[in-house]
Amino acid sequence: MTAIDPSTLSAEVPVHRTKRPDWLGLALALALGIVVVIPLLVVAIWAFAEVWRYPSLLPQEFGFRFWQATLARPDVWAAMSLSLRLSVTVTLLSALICLPAAYAFARMDFPGRNLLFLSFLASHAFPKFGLLVAIAGIFLNLGLISTFWGVVLIQLVGTLMMMIWIPVAAFQNVDRAMEEAARDAGAGPIRVFWSVSLPQAAPTIFAAVLLSFVGTFYETEGAWLIGAPEIRTMPVLMITYINNQIVVQYGAVLSVLLWVPSFIALMFTRRLVGSGSFAKGFGV
Amino acid sequence: MAQLTLKNLGKSFDATDVIRDLSLDVADGELVCLLGPSGSGKSTVLRMVGGFETPNRGAILIDGEDVTRVPPEKRPTGMVFQSHALWSHMSVAGNVAFGLKLRGLPKTQIREKVGEALALVGLEGYGERRVWQLSGGQQQRVAIARALVLEPKILLLDEPFASLDQHLRERLREELRDIQRRLGITTLFVTHGQDEALALADRIVVLRGGEIEQVASPDRMYRAPQTRFVAGFIGSMNFLPCDMRGGVSDHPLFAVRATVPDGPVELAIRPEALTLLPARGTGARVHRVTDYGTHLLVDVDLPDGGRLKAMCPPSARYEPGQEVALEAGHVALFRGDAKLAEVTVERRVAVHV
Amino acid sequence: MTDLSSSGTGRAGGTAHSNGRGLTGLLLVSAPVALLGWLIIYPIFNAIARTLFAPTQTGTAFSLDTYGRFFSDGYALANLWLTLWVTAVCAALLLAICLPLALYLRFAKSRVAGVVQGLALFPMFVPSVILAYALIRTIGPNGGVDLVLNALGLPKINSPYLTPWGPIIGLVWDNIPLTTLMLVAGLGAVSDNAVEAARDAGARPIALLRHIILPQIGNAMLVVLSFTVLSIFSAFTLPYVLGPASPEMMGPFMQRTFSQVMDPRMAVTQAVITFAICAVFGAFYVRSIAKNREARR
Repeated sequence: MTAIDPSTLSAEVPVHRTKRPDWLGLALALALGIVVVIPLLVVAIWAFAEVWRYPSLLPQEFGFRFWQATLARPDVWAAMSLSLRLSVTVTLLSALICLPAAYAFARMDFPGRNLLFLSFLASHAFPKFGLLVAIAGIFLNLGLISTFWGVVLIQLVGTLMMMIWIPVAAFQNVDRAMEEAARDAGAGPIRVFWSVSLPQAAPTIFAAVLLSFVGTFYETEGAWLIGAPEIRTMPVLMITYINNQIVVQYGAVLSVLLWVPSFIALMFTRRLVGSGSFAKGFGV
Repeated sequence: MAQLTLKNLGKSFDATDVIRDLSLDVADGELVCLLGPSGSGKSTVLRMVGGFETPNRGAILIDGEDVTRVPPEKRPTGMVFQSHALWSHMSVAGNVAFGLKLRGLPKTQIREKVGEALALVGLEGYGERRVWQLSGGQQQRVAIARALVLEPKILLLDEPFASLDQHLRERLREELRDIQRRLGITTLFVTHGQDEALALADRIVVLRGGEIEQVASPDRMYRAPQTRFVAGFIGSMNFLPCDMRGGVSDHPLFAVRATVPDGPVELAIRPEALTLLPARGTGARVHRVTDYGTHLLVDVDLPDGGRLKAMCPPSARYEPGQEVALEAGHVALFRGDAKLAEVTVERRVAVHV
Repeated sequence: MTDLSSSGTGRAGGTAHSNGRGLTGLLLVSAPVALLGWLIIYPIFNAIARTLFAPTQTGTAFSLDTYGRFFSDGYALANLWLTLWVTAVCAALLLAICLPLALYLRFAKSRVAGVVQGLALFPMFVPSVILAYALIRTIGPNGGVDLVLNALGLPKINSPYLTPWGPIIGLVWDNIPLTTLMLVAGLGAVSDNAVEAARDAGARPIALLRHIILPQIGNAMLVVLSFTVLSIFSAFTLPYVLGPASPEMMGPFMQRTFSQVMDPRMAVTQAVITFAICAVFGAFYVRSIAKNREARR
């Protein structure tokens, strides 16, 4: 082989542009963009419209009048604080009972482990609203209908599956040798959990906790069926606005307010949700 | 200092015996390599010494003290894992310091010891780095420092260099050997690479199917394998099946004399024990010549359809198809798995290397 | 990923003193398991028992009266048919939309793919109430689409609001993220090399899809289908807000029977009927989860 002087060849060697624009991707992005973004955009415009009469393409007057009006309503504040209290309670309880269980499923050996774990995954195999009605039938006899703790219980059940299998996967992904290395360095089992397993699994567990929190905050069916008429959470209030409120902007302002948690959740959990492992939990 | 004794160890997983009945003494400051194919149980032995598996039978003694039921965190052993198993949420110094912190040492002393340990593996000033900022070789060095900083009585290494490339593996091997010598620490090293075992060990233990096949120094292991398995597992070996009749083998090319009862045997000859000579009428022909730089490896087709490898000096010239004569300087005879005899033949022709 | 025995070499925990460890494990999982038993398994059996045994003066007796009433009530049957129809249409639409999307996401390597993925995931984070409200404002009477059409001098659309198409659009929108994700995960079983080898052998995109890709994701598609059917069949919020008042879908029908008609026993009967209809899909879903976990072992 002799060395080739690049300058003598460069004129004859054809150069290819290997990166072509991804037309299919752009088309899909555009189509999805229209379908996903437009409805939300319309709501956002409504939230800042003071006067918007048909058939004008855009509102006649923009302003913050309805923001003040919405935020001045006591039912909005009551619902907001109730929803927050509910979500925090449910998420904390869920983390408290599910994380140790997830660790046990991931790392310990006990009779019935596979069957019990499978039954958590299989709890998806029942139509959810039918199940809620069946539970409501039981709660009716227990006097839990229309109480705070009734709603907590129903929403807690809703978070169970996600708060079990995502952390189980997270704990299993911790390299066993890392835990053994900590044992080797002199740490007992509990110390290993605190100093190695938990910090290693923390990002994924955090995403699961956030998903549960947001999911509980938005949960509508259980709160509506079990909580009505006393317990009025944000989504339930939203339904009554849609059904009975003549002022369109109240609903629009509330919607825009409720996006905030959506966006935060999207930011922090996209990596988890986008990974194949998330979908695998649903049985694929 | 520290002495390790394994007494009649036995371990089964799900009713399968992984370790059958294994006894071994490791002297103070000795480096013993556990060598074997995958599934031979070598890692299991190491993990039992580290306390990560509990043996079903037998005992493990360190300095005469029974540690068989002692949990890993209370054993005077330090382990280096194949996957380095560094804690990625801690800095390099944090990894090394973890065990010292658990022992409640004062901060200044911890800093001092961490610095010393990192210096020992050639990583001074890397303490504040994150684990994932290091190269594979550096990560494994941190793992070694992490194990050594606790001054264990026994150092355990589980194929620590398996995921590194050839050059790096050789360099770290030499560094580890130097450190081990300097500290005089009793060491158990698991590997499936024979060159690693030959280069590192004071003694090699070849395991097969959960049992010890042979224990010997690298030199004896290579030159005087006691079983056919070891002969074939370590280095390359030509096996030629034939029959012994009246103290002479009936192989057409190798008539070996040995006082061995009649019956089928295998002649085991290392490629470097073979000498090639151009000749006619032998029926053995060169099939292919491969140049390895330091030596040539010549594949020879035998008249009976077998093929063997012979090592020649790089100056030798052979062409495919050329007829050759073969002479063996050293032959071992195996019947089944057992060695019957070893024969060193007086060379009739001087070999010019 | 979620298979329990993936840990290391599949050997049971090394230093475990099996008895003590086993009890600790059971203790740690006891709270969620108890909750699962009390609020999912027990209610299902309770519901079946309650609807089969009616209280009488002398105690309880076997009775199918509520089922008889349901299946002889033309309105209830119309609701059931509507729900089945909506579910079928949604499932078909979702596969038609999400399969191309998933194929693109699985095989695309450009940076646009990240944007497409983000957009496809976004609906997962939009609660259905807000979606319902936004759809009313967009495709409802005099909504955003009407405004644009009007400005272009075109006639108004026939608004799907309060027709079965309202919930269909909403449910499809809502289910795109999970369906796509599950299909992408299913497509993970098709290796790049398998596709490259087929192209090397001369397969065009259509042949590639028919002979290489679809056969390998058949099971995943059935799981996705079952999951979609299960989640759509008893949807509540979107049908309640966007759907027609009569006939109505099973979700709002059950809710109204429970809260407004104040007939819990009838509501539970309706729930049991949805269980029965979904049982085939549910059983298939569970079987395939179990099989997957078995296979990964």
